[in-house]
Amino acid sequence: MSLIRECLQKLGIVKREKTLTLLDAEALRTAFQTRYHNFKLLLSANNKALQIMSELEEARKGDTPFGMSFIRANCTAVSVNVFRMIQCMDQLAPRKYIDLYDSFRSIQGSVTEILSEKKETIAGPLIISLQDVDKTRSDEAGNKMANLGEIRNRLGIKVPNGFVISSRAFREFIGSGDLQAEIDRLMQSSPAEEIDQLFALSAQIQQQVIRTGMPAELERAILSAYAELERKEGQGVKVSLRSSALGEDSAQSSFAGLYRSELNVSADNLIHAYKEIAASKYSLQAIVYRLNRGIRDEDLNMCVGCISMVNAVAGGVIYSKNPLDVRDARIFIHSVFGLPKSVVDGSVAADLFVVSRNHPPQIVEKHIAGKRQKFVCYPEEGVCRVEILGDEGSQASISDHTALELARIALRIEDHYGVAQDIEWALDDKGEIIMLQCRPLMQRNEVTDRGRAECKIEASEVIVSGGLTASPGAGFGPVFVLRKESQALLFPRGAVLVVKQALPRWAVLLGRASALVAEQGTAAGHLANVAREFGVPAILGLEGATDLLENGQHITVDADGLRVCRGKIEPLLQDKETCKSLMDGSPVLDILKRVSENIIPLHLLDPEAPDFKPSQCRSFHDITRFCHEKSVMEMFSFGKDHHFSERASKQLVCRIPMKWWVINLDDGFREDVPGKFVDLDNIVSIPMLAIWKGIVAVRWQGPPPVDSKGFMSILMEAGSNPALDPSMPSPYANRNYFMISKNFCSLNSRFGFHFASIEALVGERAGENYISFAFQGGAAGHGRRVRRARFVGDILEEFDFRCEISNDGVTARVEGYDEEVMKEKLRILGYLLIHTRQLDMIMFNDDSCLQLKGKLLGDISSVILSKSSSAAALN
Amino acid sequence: METLSVLIVDDEVEFMETLVKRLRKRKLAVNGVTSGEAALAQLKETPADIVVLDVKMPGMSGLDTLREIKKRYSLLEVIMLTGHANMEVAIEGMDIGAFDYLMKPIEIDELVYKIQDACKRKRLNEKAGLVETRGASG
Repeated sequence: MSLIRECLQKLGIVKREKTLTLLDAEALRTAFQTRYHNFKLLLSANNKALQIMSELEEARKGDTPFGMSFIRANCTAVSVNVFRMIQCMDQLAPRKYIDLYDSFRSIQGSVTEILSEKKETIAGPLIISLQDVDKTRSDEAGNKMANLGEIRNRLGIKVPNGFVISSRAFREFIGSGDLQAEIDRLMQSSPAEEIDQLFALSAQIQQQVIRTGMPAELERAILSAYAELERKEGQGVKVSLRSSALGEDSAQSSFAGLYRSELNVSADNLIHAYKEIAASKYSLQAIVYRLNRGIRDEDLNMCVGCISMVNAVAGGVIYSKNPLDVRDARIFIHSVFGLPKSVVDGSVAADLFVVSRNHPPQIVEKHIAGKRQKFVCYPEEGVCRVEILGDEGSQASISDHTALELARIALRIEDHYGVAQDIEWALDDKGEIIMLQCRPLMQRNEVTDRGRAECKIEASEVIVSGGLTASPGAGFGPVFVLRKESQALLFPRGAVLVVKQALPRWAVLLGRASALVAEQGTAAGHLANVAREFGVPAILGLEGATDLLENGQHITVDADGLRVCRGKIEPLLQDKETCKSLMDGSPVLDILKRVSENIIPLHLLDPEAPDFKPSQCRSFHDITRFCHEKSVMEMFSFGKDHHFSERASKQLVCRIPMKWWVINLDDGFREDVPGKFVDLDNIVSIPMLAIWKGIVAVRWQGPPPVDSKGFMSILMEAGSNPALDPSMPSPYANRNYFMISKNFCSLNSRFGFHFASIEALVGERAGENYISFAFQGGAAGHGRRVRRARFVGDILEEFDFRCEISNDGVTARVEGYDEEVMKEKLRILGYLLIHTRQLDMIMFNDDSCLQLKGKLLGDISSVILSKSSSAAALN
Repeated sequence: METLSVLIVDDEVEFMETLVKRLRKRKLAVNGVTSGEAALAQLKETPADIVVLDVKMPGMSGLDTLREIKKRYSLLEVIMLTGHANMEVAIEGMDIGAFDYLMKPIEIDELVYKIQDACKRKRLNEKAGLVETRGASG
């Protein structure tokens, strides 16, 4: 800062002297260069800030998933760039705009406050015995275990003994050794656009969690709770550890199968298994799920239920109503031999008992599947899948009596909660029914579209039919048969996912799939749950699908009609519901909306208004707007006020009957010129030359054929009559000023009531290239001025400018193209600058607009965009 | 064009080494160290134009290192590059005099541009200082 002040002082002296010493001239040149560099940094920060704002604005629509790290990174980046602008401003005009710092701090404070809000957490114990748990303690025990405790302690339904490792325990574990900070860092710094990058990120975080040491107190607490359980159940009792995530309570969020469960765990591995389940908070599915549903990472606490292992002879899942049809109140019982695991993970075909709600309940449908495998417990630890030999596999896995008993229990639980339930159960070797889990059932609101199911299709077009509807609707896309996990990385967006088993791990692909087809699995599996949640049509249990469907083949999956057809069957796809945004109403989207209120809205609109000042900046956008406006002014007046010939404004020697002035900010001239004029030949500013080409491309041949006489006279009037000029506080007065460097140009053009500006950076760094254009005013009545603004905006939009029209003004931006494209856009602007100025006068009606638009577009395509002609026009 | 010398400071060895390699391919003279202390020691031996500095490191923190660098070599430009998306820390860094605060992951070209811009500022400040001294003595 002192440097600039020094230079300013020098400039003060210089002003009074007529000749400069070489040294002074050098100092001045350096001062100008430094100023210009600051100005450039300010512009680049401005650009970056605006870019981030438009990204935030896009995200705010909630159509694409994003997480807290997106919000944090963008808030940080935007504040850094805004702060940088203020710093540059302070260099350009020391202490003049010092109040900006206060406005900045106050806005930053509001944003930080929103970002650092924490969910209230309660202290509570590290371990809670299941006999002390009910639904009022879900904040400590997680929903799954709270529900299990509730039905055990309030309804007296049999559930295993056990305990819960609480949410506080999880927070202490994850908070130990800076683990959370490290996880946040990994989430932030890893590229995560592609699924394979997410795979890597998930693995890295989970390893980090598992490597972390357990706090000693927590380890002791878990082991002593286990010892207590041993006293009830016998020494060496095996347990199952189940995730009971806290934060999955929202009715729309199912969290189906996202986290790990460990079955048949021995005492030796208790702690390790706990860590694995804690780590599964960062399973790929869970990361993607939270991202898609806008759930904050830090809001999810992983409580873990530890219950004695039931060595089931049969088990499965009950839906107390039909998940696919709200009108169907029958009870659906899915059942397999062995552990219920294979129903949940969709790996084995299951029996289905459908039970009516009559008194007493009756079995109304019974489908016995061919069950070839089952899961059983190893004696030491773990579970294994064994083949079912002989004809046992074709027998019912449970008796009708058991099915009816299950239905009765399901109704009791449903009655207690008042909503349909999704219940996991087991039948132990003594024939006793034991409940392992219950939660509200997600039911589709939409009733299956029978009309669609009845749509007639030639038999020859149907490749395969059958199976069961796991998620209704129809989807179209190329087949992708997924045979092994590594292929998941290749899964293309919009493809139909075809798999043998409906395993939960494929859930991560459903966000990108147009439909799902699996040879095995039931509507009760996790994958089916997720498919319904994401609105992906799915047919499960479609035998032979992986062999009959070929990779890349385009098919329509009709989940309602249970068939897969060749090609695109439009009638089926017609009323495909537009998938509602999953981010809608989510905590993450809510936070984004609130922080962006401090960032995006623009309140400082009019630079001439008295409240256009630092203290009135209420958003980051206000600050950028203010700094940008003032920096251009500061650059302009500095160059103008100081009689340093090299950098003073010079009149452009040109043939068109308008006066143009040029200020060289840095390296915009081929060589420095001493006098008051500069030749076009001496100008090397890439953007200025491009604009100039546009300006001179088409001679002002006279008016368009609308009302030639009137038009011309108005033009003459406006051009020659100074009385038409408003009083102008602007220093640009009635002139056209270019401020230039080699890659930069800022043009301010004021002509009567017409005010236009173009600012452009065009260089090798395509990513930093931008053009912004503003156009306002006019001498005609308000209606015509407004019409003209729209007119100009319309034309610009045809050339990929992003336009905003407000009242009689239009602003337009374009960015990120390479040099040649940017030059083309600038030529168009130069042309429009000249040829639209007085148009407000003839904007009588839409017809005249249309005609005129035709002419302007014609000019642009024939002269401006054609490569050969523009050079000729220069002379 | 003159060679720019850059020092990368990041405790993540793999990241640091990759960055050093990639920047060298872009004709920059690059060294890398893994701590703030090592950065200060290295600068004593081998001056650099630009330091690219991580924020979260064991031992001397990024902000402390930045403070120390600015105290010792006021013209040296420091770019913060971090996975730590924290507004407060970022603004504090800018306040101390960091040239920019960038977040990982970053495109290598973008980083190179920032390094070039920072270096331009450094050269201008050096030039201004030089002119000033000459002016004072003559």
